[in-house]
Amino acid sequence: MTRSFTGPALEVEDLVLSIGGAPVVDGIGFAVQPGEVLALVGESGCGKSLTAQAAIRLLPGAVERQRGRILLDGDDLYAMRERDVRRLRGRRISMIFQEPQAALDPLSTVGAQVAEATGLRGRAARDAVLAMLTEVGISDPARRIAQYPFELSGGMAQRVMIATALIARPAILIADEPTTALDVTIQAQILQLLRRLAAERGTAILLITHDMGVVADIADRVAVMYAGRIAETGRVDRVFAAPAHPYTALLLAALPRLTDVPKSELAVIAGQVPLPQHFSPACRFADRCPLVGERCRAERPPLADRGDGQLSACWHADHVGSIAA
Amino acid sequence: MTAALTLTDLAVHYPARNGLPVRAVDGVSLHVAPGETLGLVGESGCGKSTIARAVVGLQAATRGSVVVDGTEIVGADRQTLHRARARMQMVFQDPATSLNPRMTVGEAVGEPLLVRSLVRGGALREQVGMLLAEVGLPPEHAARYPHQFSGGQRQRIVIARALALRPALLVCDEPVSALDVSVRAQILNLLVTLQRSHAMATLFVSHDLAVVRHVCDRIAVMYLGRLVELAPRDALFAAPRHPYTRALLLAVPEPDPVRQRAKPRVLLVGEIPSPAYPPPGCRFHTRCPMARPVCAIEEPAWRQAGESGVACHFADEVSPSSHYQSEASAP
Amino acid sequence: MRRLPVSIVVLLGVLLAFGIAALLAPWIVPHDPLRQSLLLRLKPPGTVDPRQGLFALGTDDLGRDLLSRILYGARASFAVAILSVAVSLAVGVSLGLAAGWFRSWTATIAMRLVDTMLSIPAILLAVLTVAVIGPGFLDLVLVLGLTRWPRYTRVAYASTLQVASMPFIQASEMAGAGAVRLLSRHVLPNIAGPLLVVATSEFGLMILFEAGLSFLGLGIQPPAPSWGSILSAGRQYVERAWWLTVFPGIGLFALVVCVNLLGDLLRDQLDPRSARR
Repeated sequence: MTRSFTGPALEVEDLVLSIGGAPVVDGIGFAVQPGEVLALVGESGCGKSLTAQAAIRLLPGAVERQRGRILLDGDDLYAMRERDVRRLRGRRISMIFQEPQAALDPLSTVGAQVAEATGLRGRAARDAVLAMLTEVGISDPARRIAQYPFELSGGMAQRVMIATALIARPAILIADEPTTALDVTIQAQILQLLRRLAAERGTAILLITHDMGVVADIADRVAVMYAGRIAETGRVDRVFAAPAHPYTALLLAALPRLTDVPKSELAVIAGQVPLPQHFSPACRFADRCPLVGERCRAERPPLADRGDGQLSACWHADHVGSIAA
Repeated sequence: MTAALTLTDLAVHYPARNGLPVRAVDGVSLHVAPGETLGLVGESGCGKSTIARAVVGLQAATRGSVVVDGTEIVGADRQTLHRARARMQMVFQDPATSLNPRMTVGEAVGEPLLVRSLVRGGALREQVGMLLAEVGLPPEHAARYPHQFSGGQRQRIVIARALALRPALLVCDEPVSALDVSVRAQILNLLVTLQRSHAMATLFVSHDLAVVRHVCDRIAVMYLGRLVELAPRDALFAAPRHPYTRALLLAVPEPDPVRQRAKPRVLLVGEIPSPAYPPPGCRFHTRCPMARPVCAIEEPAWRQAGESGVACHFADEVSPSSHYQSEASAP
Repeated sequence: MRRLPVSIVVLLGVLLAFGIAALLAPWIVPHDPLRQSLLLRLKPPGTVDPRQGLFALGTDDLGRDLLSRILYGARASFAVAILSVAVSLAVGVSLGLAAGWFRSWTATIAMRLVDTMLSIPAILLAVLTVAVIGPGFLDLVLVLGLTRWPRYTRVAYASTLQVASMPFIQASEMAGAGAVRLLSRHVLPNIAGPLLVVATSEFGLMILFEAGLSFLGLGIQPPAPSWGSILSAGRQYVERAWWLTVFPGIGLFALVVCVNLLGDLLRDQLDPRSARR
């Protein structure tokens, strides 16, 4: 499918989501280019899953979009009618989830579910499904087509979900913690599969995860979220090698690595993630930050360009290098 | 020196509905010395959690022996088990369900002492206060309820409760898996500190190799109910001798894009078989990149060489992964 | 520990008002509920008699003050409801707890018992019991107590199963707690929530059942006042003396609505709390 639009596959502009009046996602913006993998990473409560749900316009009832645009291949998703958006889901924008078994219909065969995303019937559908199942690495697809989700292992079910999501060649795939529930050897397979499919088909991938290792494995660019905002974003190799935000630096230092000295002390981030009711209008990381200054508590730091595509929202971005690594 | 924990040919088989038993654990032998931390790693269906529960007596063993601090657990009568349990405690995975929501934190932490009539009243309150302080929580918080604490704090409370009886053996079943990264670090630091101050043996069950490497002295790798390799930490990571260990190590995604993308890929083929239908011969042969005909017929015997042991017909041919040399070992 | 929302407090207050009125009936009734007077038969509400005073809600067909009879009837209703709920709770929860804790045969037998009891119509049992012990207060409590316990058993069973599998139970077991402590300190407090919700709605139901059975003549016997029997007696005079059916009816309605609303609110109060992590 050739693209006529030359901009990003997905663009999020100044997104603000609130629950009961308290903004839980506070001015998020990013773009994912075709064929690129952008990882949205953060700990629980940072708002990354809600952002993903907003991007496909599937927000839970309690969550309100107060502001912001979601542009899919240039088209504003929130300016369309619901039934037009429904037609786009599964065709131009798809999503895969953490628990593949929960996302698949237990009463419908594998073949039926994958075929549903194509809109085709009969022979054409079957051929398309078989081809796609082979492409996602499912062996003996002819047999699998007639199986039900409960007969599949976790990894297999995730492959079926990926097949369903990609068979119609969407512009973008949103993957919400796709490998968190999988064993590590299976995770490695699935991540490689996603990367390969993105490269071969030019599909953009928005990868939601809390695992920095997964980010390092397949992401091209990363956006680090904290308390509803983007703390830092940039190319993966730059952000990991030289983080420009204290949160990123501390997060990386808190991870036990296979190259560490064993039993050495891991960096600890003092305090806790604030609750949405207690979000500060200034820098939200101030209470836990080793570099905190007067300005941090008074004024919200904007996402500033640090050069080479790296953006960071910190008044003391220049001093992040001094934080223990 | 008596081992804190000794497993000899432990087997746990669950009867399944269609008659075929699920051989969750199928002949595992290992020991943990006092003061040592042994990591038990593996993926789904390997049996590590089942072993953890069998060790503390929450799961009945089908065969074999479990000796904790000199007492045999398998087949023990209630009194013996009750006494043995004073010598071992468990830390579970999910801090949200590990504490009674209707009981104060102080009552929960003090329960092991109260139930065994070891301490009462003011002395009990004092002990509880000390235990809470030891895990980094203010003693005044003993009157609060679990829902008033964060996940990381609740896990600390669970650890405090586990330490109450000063056990000889601590069994941790995925103690940090349900926690955020920044909180994980706190708990891991705490566990390392407690290791040093308490000199108790620990059986650390986890699927996360990076975490295991951080807190353990020796590591046992399991696959489908069997041990495939057991070695001191540094030896295992520097030169794994079993193809599964090697694949597992390479599969762990490292938070370092340069290293991660430079790694040789040993992507295993296929899915993990179900423990109800383990493959014949070597259980790993269906996914092994080095499988030969004999692997499908004969189960490899355990070969011990010094401190390390491995069960593979071709262990000598596994190329050492020089990928994980660390400059220093633990103090 | 946790603050209750205003709505629950208000409803509890209303319920308490009813309860206190019922309790203090002997002291606050304006007239003797059993005192008959042929001259004062079927007097409308507000009738004032020079010698006996105000009959605020009128009199019944035997000249007895309706207000006083309603207040005493409330006593009967509350007493029957509380006692029968207590009996059902005791029997039902014990069985459910045992079934959920020991499972296997205990659970199978308990659940089959529950199924059996639920298939016997309450009316039939009421008639049988009356035939055996004779009608009256005791009969009512027995019938209601012994037919309603299955509902508690089901809830207790399901809740116990769920709680018993939680790690904190295993942790206490490992600490050395015995079955008694585990059940009383750990399981029971954690299944109390859903049981409270059931008990509340059952309470309302028992009020209605008492009225119904007394209405049919199987419960509280005349001349003792009971909302059911007052309603029953008032049937014949619906056109001439509407107050005989309307006022007890309103009282019954108000009390049961109040109790049901409370039950709903309690359920909502407890549910999101347990779902929230």
